[in-house]
Amino acid sequence: MPTEHLLLWSLIIVPTAMAFLAWITPGKLRSVLVGFGAVATAGLGLAMGGWLYFAHPHSFELQSTSTLSMLGMGLELAIIVVILAVAIRIRSWAIILLGVAQLALAVTEEVLSHGKPRAEGATFTVDSLSAILILVVSVIGSIIVYYAIGYMKEHAAHAPATAAGNGRFFLYLVGFLGMMNGLVMADDLKWLGFFWEVTTFCSFMLIGHDRTEEACRNAKRALLINSFGGLAMMIAGVIAVANGSAATITAVKNTAAIVPIALLCLAAFTKSAQLPFQSWLLGAMVAPTPVSALLHSATMVKAGSYLVLRLAPAFHGTKFSTLVAIIGAFTFVMTSALACGQRNGKKVLAYSTIANLGLIVMCAGINTPLAYAAALMTLCFHAASKGLLFMCMGTIEQKIHSRDIEEMGGIMYRMPFTTFVALIGMVSMLVPPFGMLLSKWMAMESAIHNPLVLILVIVGAAFTVLFWAKWIGRIQTVSYHEKYTIEKAPLSMLATMGLMAVAVVAAGLGAVPIFNNLIVPQAHAIYASVSGASFASLKQAGNFTMMWPLFVFPAGAILLGIFSYFRFRPEQVRLPFLCGENVENTIPSYTFRSLGDQPETAWAMSYYLRDLFTEGRVTFWCNLIATMAILAMFGVLAPA
Amino acid sequence: MMNPYIAVPLALLVAPLIGGLLMGIDRKLTARIQGRMGPPVLQPFFDVLKLLCKTPLALNRVQIIYAYLHLAFMMVVVVLLAMGQDMLMILFAHAFSTIALVLGGMCVRSPYSRIGSQRKIMQMLAYEPILVLLVVGVYLINGNSFMAKDIVTAGGAHPLLSQLPLVFLAFLMVVAIKTDKSPFDIATSHHAHQELVKGVTLEYSGPYLALIELTHMYEMAVLFTVVAMFWATSIGVGLTLAAAAFVFIIVLDNAFARLHSIWMLRYMWTVPTILALSNIVWLYFRQTPAIQ
Repeated sequence: MPTEHLLLWSLIIVPTAMAFLAWITPGKLRSVLVGFGAVATAGLGLAMGGWLYFAHPHSFELQSTSTLSMLGMGLELAIIVVILAVAIRIRSWAIILLGVAQLALAVTEEVLSHGKPRAEGATFTVDSLSAILILVVSVIGSIIVYYAIGYMKEHAAHAPATAAGNGRFFLYLVGFLGMMNGLVMADDLKWLGFFWEVTTFCSFMLIGHDRTEEACRNAKRALLINSFGGLAMMIAGVIAVANGSAATITAVKNTAAIVPIALLCLAAFTKSAQLPFQSWLLGAMVAPTPVSALLHSATMVKAGSYLVLRLAPAFHGTKFSTLVAIIGAFTFVMTSALACGQRNGKKVLAYSTIANLGLIVMCAGINTPLAYAAALMTLCFHAASKGLLFMCMGTIEQKIHSRDIEEMGGIMYRMPFTTFVALIGMVSMLVPPFGMLLSKWMAMESAIHNPLVLILVIVGAAFTVLFWAKWIGRIQTVSYHEKYTIEKAPLSMLATMGLMAVAVVAAGLGAVPIFNNLIVPQAHAIYASVSGASFASLKQAGNFTMMWPLFVFPAGAILLGIFSYFRFRPEQVRLPFLCGENVENTIPSYTFRSLGDQPETAWAMSYYLRDLFTEGRVTFWCNLIATMAILAMFGVLAPA
Repeated sequence: MMNPYIAVPLALLVAPLIGGLLMGIDRKLTARIQGRMGPPVLQPFFDVLKLLCKTPLALNRVQIIYAYLHLAFMMVVVVLLAMGQDMLMILFAHAFSTIALVLGGMCVRSPYSRIGSQRKIMQMLAYEPILVLLVVGVYLINGNSFMAKDIVTAGGAHPLLSQLPLVFLAFLMVVAIKTDKSPFDIATSHHAHQELVKGVTLEYSGPYLALIELTHMYEMAVLFTVVAMFWATSIGVGLTLAAAAFVFIIVLDNAFARLHSIWMLRYMWTVPTILALSNIVWLYFRQTPAIQ
């Protein structure tokens, strides 16, 4: 077997095997196995990335054989049956219906293709887009898995009595990585469908981990919405076979059969939690935090973005593409607005994830090399930053037992390490020189030719600033302290957060070389065969050399700031102005002498604009409009 | 385009001088409108020098870094403008300067400064879309270029104002917000006629406050340079336009009382934003051929 095929199979099988091993081994040994699985997966991912970077061309295929085809078919049927069995156990008629429909379609597809000569195609196609995703899944995903070792020990001590065991938890968590790796390499729609459904199933099990009433309800919703997406994917396969082409992504793209492409996009929207399918991802917050970290950054939602990006060049320049852009932009602006009204930190993160996925979908819909580059940048940098932020959020929550942003004042002193790392994560979502800003900038520049998309993305960006600034401001609030001591937490949690923060900073500082050396060639390669694609703006965007002030001046300011920081003496400290005499020696220096010399504590909350961004009402109208847009997306496919 | 090695240091040096002078004239003019004598025109410079000589005092050490960042990002704006760089990036740098100030106000345990910061973010939310629309408008006229250096040649013999009149009106409101003028001076105001407790800059003092004042000088220069850019075809007319805008802002400041932050958001997102948006829409329509 050639090296690349060996790498391909081990990327899928090693994590899966480790997951099963971790499941059956008890206690301490399990942590070792999970840790080993994480390291091995990360190593394999890096190896695959490196192999593809140096290979010519930067891609390879694993040709389909009848065995592989049969195996894919069998696996897909098996997972559908498993989900059907689960649906029957939880007595959800809607999911049962979707499962039965999927089963029927799978059989139809087999009957349709029966007797015909097997169409040529690849089971797996691995190119640079897959490589980027593999790196994201294997490296960031593994860091999160490693973090989970420490987190789950703590979680198991406080978890509700109904919670499932940690063995089962790690089975799905580690297995998830293998399945995601398979998903981004699969070309055959049967294999893709199999991986797609397995990730749905894994997230169902992980969301429902605590087995509280709320967890079960939200897990069910996730399964329902994603099964709907799975059904759309199945229909796409049947139509492709009925059209006489091979049921592979490449074949569907080459024949430019727009209906299967649209159905695949619909499936991608469900997984990427685009409006109106966002509710499952918001509900997924009930799961232990490593699950949220994994679903939101490296896996699951990125499967949807990946599929849209994979298909995008095939619908370049169509009206369908414009509608995809509008749906993405609409999701971006509305979820950013909803994030402004949230006090629950995890929910803010969730809305921000959906917003960024919207940005990726929007870029895929704009469908120019520049937009594509912006989408890839967003995908990578968002994965790192959001993974880091969820890990911090989990650590903070375990310490202060609350997700309320307003209760996070003063954590800078109580847990300086986590807070500092969280600040890096938040700042990296917003400020130069970090990559997220560059990608947002490119997204805006590429949106310029569509006024509607443009205004949506402008307003959305303004909202983004609002909710991040509020949160950063709250967690960094601190009185003067001469010394800070690093808080106690399991080593695996502190180490992974530190590692991820270093990665975020390194990627941020290296954003320009990453863009020019990895992203630009990718955009060129993908649009090389697309007629009418313009590379001029891409070339212009890569010309960051004139942007030196953006790095030099803030760096100078930070150096000066650090210099002043260390020269600062305790006698230079003053208490805040409170419109009354300060009460000395109180930890909250908000306290002042009020009427009758009574101490009173002043308190200022952030703006949440509850009457403007009322979640229920806004969501209702958003879902309505988004549904219309999706219907329109299919409407423009009808022959005129 | 001037050699960047000359243009950049020159801009960094001259911008605060212009800005400080404008602030001095503003104080004098306002005083005269209110029937006072007013300070000397050079007072803003004296203020900064005096503040720089004071002992540095602060509530915590994080605060200090943000004062430096506030200034640094505003300098980035000036430098990028002088180099004629990408306007969207200039806009981002400008936003980060404000965000640094907001975070500086929020990092201390002071309710008044926090409220000021919150309101500052509301101001950003109110004006940021208009600034991006301004950039979009210039892009469309510029022959699809985001580069600031192309503005001078954009539109040929026609000044930008003839093509972006409504965006210009909206931009004047943005200038009023950015210079903390009534009725938009909700975060902090520059004269004592609106408030006794300063907002976002309340907890800054001494050299750190001097940094913020210096930043404000830079910002004044940038804002009125952009106003003058609307008539870049003739420097004389451009400067007159900027002067007229300056007087308008001061009269506005003295004619109004401070209003509520939600009122500002509602107003800015309706009247000026819709004005600017309709201007942009007609530019798009002019670019695309009529539908048959």
